[in-house]
Amino acid sequence: MMTNKEKYTQAFNAIYTSPTLNLEVVKMENIKKKRRLKPVLTAAAACVLIVSSASVAYAKDVAGIRRTIQLWLRGDQTDAVIQFDGKGHYNMNYTDDKGNEISQGGGGVAILDDGTEVAATEDELAEMLNSPEVEYRSDGSVWVYWFSNKLEITDKFEDDVCFLKLENGKDILYMTIKYKGGYATSTSEYIQPWQFN
Amino acid sequence: MKLPVEEVIKKYQRNLYASAFNVCKNQQDSEDAVQETLIQYFTESKNFESEEHIRAWLLRVVINKAKNKNRIFFRQNTVALDDYIETLTFVSEQSQEIFEEVMKLPDKYRIVIHLFYYEGYSVNEIADILRETKSNVKTKLSRGRAMLKNTLAEVWNDDK
Repeated sequence: MMTNKEKYTQAFNAIYTSPTLNLEVVKMENIKKKRRLKPVLTAAAACVLIVSSASVAYAKDVAGIRRTIQLWLRGDQTDAVIQFDGKGHYNMNYTDDKGNEISQGGGGVAILDDGTEVAATEDELAEMLNSPEVEYRSDGSVWVYWFSNKLEITDKFEDDVCFLKLENGKDILYMTIKYKGGYATSTSEYIQPWQFN
Repeated sequence: MKLPVEEVIKKYQRNLYASAFNVCKNQQDSEDAVQETLIQYFTESKNFESEEHIRAWLLRVVINKAKNKNRIFFRQNTVALDDYIETLTFVSEQSQEIFEEVMKLPDKYRIVIHLFYYEGYSVNEIADILRETKSNVKTKLSRGRAMLKNTLAEVWNDDK
């Protein structure tokens, strides 16, 4: 026989929040995380490189700021030599899938809670490079890349929005993509389209 | 200590909503109270002693915010309780009956009943959360139980 506590719990477990509950605080948390990095691209290369943290291999460091790492480029792996200047910037050289030698630079700043900007560290820059990439190809297809994942999502949009759950071992990322309108990610749930851009 | 807000949402959003709903008796105000509580937690610089401390703080804040919603003279249009109950799926008629009778209790008894039976708090803990005396909480709990026993009859057991 159920206790009063069990009966009460069962009764109140029927209530639920609205599925469109806009948790402003999630947005605030994500904004706080994203604002930490403001990429400053110094090269013309348009591609965003995806780094597999599981496959980072460090070559002999020169003053601790030069490393050889394995990159995921559009879902394919390649080696790159990355050099940090210790002031939040990096330069990277690698060979793309067509055999072209590519040189790319970038950088970031971290924004502290009091609004001060400080140079991003190598780990913060690597974290930035780990973001997913959305590619709109000339044939009209749409692709998402994250580590070794590459997925065509051309037909996955509904009302110009696609919700995608990405998994990379223990890491899970919930991605909300607006067709040609940017995307948002969260490690806990889908960000609603009206919450960004 | 302070848990990341996403973890707090995962663990406690449902409980916060249930407590807020217990006070507000409508979905919109309850959700607003939960949202405001989580925002306050996010911006709070307080250092919590333990996760239990966080939980109790969250409940105290959401209950206060829910009470404030009830004090607003001009209320936005909200869905009536009966209409909201129609949208719920209860596991049994008995469950629905308990829910409806609890929501008919006077406000001052209802939240004490909820914290005792849903959140599993003791009289002392409820007194601490609601900032009331232990004696007051005991009285409200006793009266709330008596009312439920009276309206629910065999559905509601005698509490030992």
